[in-house]
Amino acid sequence: MDSEWEPKIVGFLCNWCCYAGADMAGTSRMQYPPNIRVIRVMCSSRLNAEMIIKAFQAGADAVFIGGCHPGDCHYVDGNYRTKKRVDVLKRLIGYVGIEPERLRLEWISAAEGEEFAKTMRELCDEIKNLGPSPLKQIAEEMV
Amino acid sequence: MERVVRKKVKELLDSGNVIAVIGLKDELGKTTPYLFRRGDDVSKLKLSPHYPLATVARKLHKADPEYKFALLCRGCDERALIEMAKRNQIDLDGIMLIGIACDEKMARECNCAVPYPSCDDIIGEPLRDLELGDPYGEFKKMSTPEKLEFWKKQFLKCNKCYGCRNICPMCFCKECELENGLWLRKGRLPPDYPVYHLIRAFHLAGKCIGCGECEKACPAGIPLMTLNRLVRDDMKDLFDYVAGTDGENVNPLYTKEEF
Repeated sequence: MDSEWEPKIVGFLCNWCCYAGADMAGTSRMQYPPNIRVIRVMCSSRLNAEMIIKAFQAGADAVFIGGCHPGDCHYVDGNYRTKKRVDVLKRLIGYVGIEPERLRLEWISAAEGEEFAKTMRELCDEIKNLGPSPLKQIAEEMV
Repeated sequence: MERVVRKKVKELLDSGNVIAVIGLKDELGKTTPYLFRRGDDVSKLKLSPHYPLATVARKLHKADPEYKFALLCRGCDERALIEMAKRNQIDLDGIMLIGIACDEKMARECNCAVPYPSCDDIIGEPLRDLELGDPYGEFKKMSTPEKLEFWKKQFLKCNKCYGCRNICPMCFCKECELENGLWLRKGRLPPDYPVYHLIRAFHLAGKCIGCGECEKACPAGIPLMTLNRLVRDDMKDLFDYVAGTDGENVNPLYTKEEF
């Protein structure tokens, strides 16, 4: 594989917890791979399946979703909804040949900057091992 | 069997309990859904091929909620009606169900584990202990790259006719996400891979009643039920929820409870 290749990760971060956690990682000068492209959403449950599927179709090697810890959701129960959706979607993308590891849901609070940096390092390594998303090649063939 | 159904329909219409019965009619060698009323020739009533009559019932009910009619109802039709009623698409109180049990050939064609409705008087012998095995066992054994190859071949055949959505008894949204240019670029054939089929499969999670109409309607012969059935099994596995079995439980994807 091309040693130059760097994975592209789309990150949907919840405004109240994970986004603040990422901010914390930044202001504390923690080192983590810059492969994530952050999209801030007001709540992780604002995501619907279409957005995640579209991210994969558009060439994302992985999709990361960051929300508040269970019970800490700013909107009381948003993250429970996200969890259920992601569980179903994970299996679904597995059925069509996208590795379920490419979709990752983590609970990261505003105080867990180190946790965010660690998760990013882990995720990046994992995706580097998996290689580019199989959909990318198909998209190229289809044009 | 058809004779028994015809007799029953005629009796029902003559008794005046219902104004009409939804069934299938043989017309010039073609079979179409038809609303049988008193005085109509019931000898043309047919039972096959299989068609989701629940959709017809929903549309009829929407046009006139006061209209009292009966419906020739197979197991899948009943499941569809239950799911529709949960989503306020139909009121089952005004509708009379004439239960019909599918024969073994039909049940095997649809991979249907429950090929009979739950009402008391069912015409035909309900197959209560049909052993189907696992029709998707071979698919489940594939590795991830093999699955990718398999679906690539299948999805690239899609010509985006929306046939699967149009026939689906559970597809009744006024606005369909599959027509939203945000997710699926217009004028692309085959549709953006694999957005079309994944969105449909996900939207049917906890909704799909497993009638298999999408697969039968697909002109390209894409085995859509493989995907839908796997998601249906997942819903049972993850949340212990099976669509169409119970009028009370709510799709866990719509609720806030933790699992």
